[in-house]
Amino acid sequence: MNRIITLTLPGELVFARFASETAAKAALMLINSCNADANDWKFTHAFELAVSEAFTNTVAYAQKLSSPQPVTIDFIFESQRLTVTIRDTNAPFSIETPAPEIDNYPERGFGLLLIRNVMDTVTCVRENGTNIISMSKQL
Amino acid sequence: MTISETTKGRVTIVSVIGTLEASTTKELLKSPAIIDPTQTVVVDLEKLNFLDSSGLGALIGTLRKKREAGAETLISCMNDRIRRVFEITNAQRIFHVFDDTSAAVDYATQLTSRP
Repeated sequence: MNRIITLTLPGELVFARFASETAAKAALMLINSCNADANDWKFTHAFELAVSEAFTNTVAYAQKLSSPQPVTIDFIFESQRLTVTIRDTNAPFSIETPAPEIDNYPERGFGLLLIRNVMDTVTCVRENGTNIISMSKQL
Repeated sequence: MTISETTKGRVTIVSVIGTLEASTTKELLKSPAIIDPTQTVVVDLEKLNFLDSSGLGALIGTLRKKREAGAETLISCMNDRIRRVFEITNAQRIFHVFDDTSAAVDYATQLTSRP
């Protein structure tokens, strides 16, 4: 049976670090529960980075609203896999954004490129007014 | 996040300690050596624990503004976690990256000595 931890945070940028540190701890928990290599920094860093990017992106869209809504994060533990879903009811957004060209000195737009590179699978859907981004990685 | 500046001749070393992400980039951008577009800087990342795309964007913006003004932004002492972000985004292609801060300062000094 999957184990799930649910975290609900205000839709404010200041909570991005809390979300990403929690994601790193969740990844480390999976490593420990599987007796895997606890020094696999890439696994914990992948979740820390992906959740930081996704939460920041979500909150950036939320700031377009007069009253940003909370953001709910589920950490879903399977035998050797961790999946993180981030849900909010703020403005819809797309993950189909092309990667920026580095030679143009872009200051924005790298978030999804980073998420896609460090995660195994990434999906983003909008259901009944809720944005759901799901990011998953196998140990 | 903590920022400290140390001047070595014409070059300023900007040491970034802690995390550089969306909620902390403003601190970096308030640093005097970063604000001054004509000041060449070596950004020492030895004690930077975490970098995301917002932090990287702040570094790229700094690089662009300084290059437009004839100065440079060099990067030193990235750990594996920071290097991973640079590699995925290809950012290492536009920055001068050094493993050692003193080597970065030496190179920056040569750049600032050119007529």
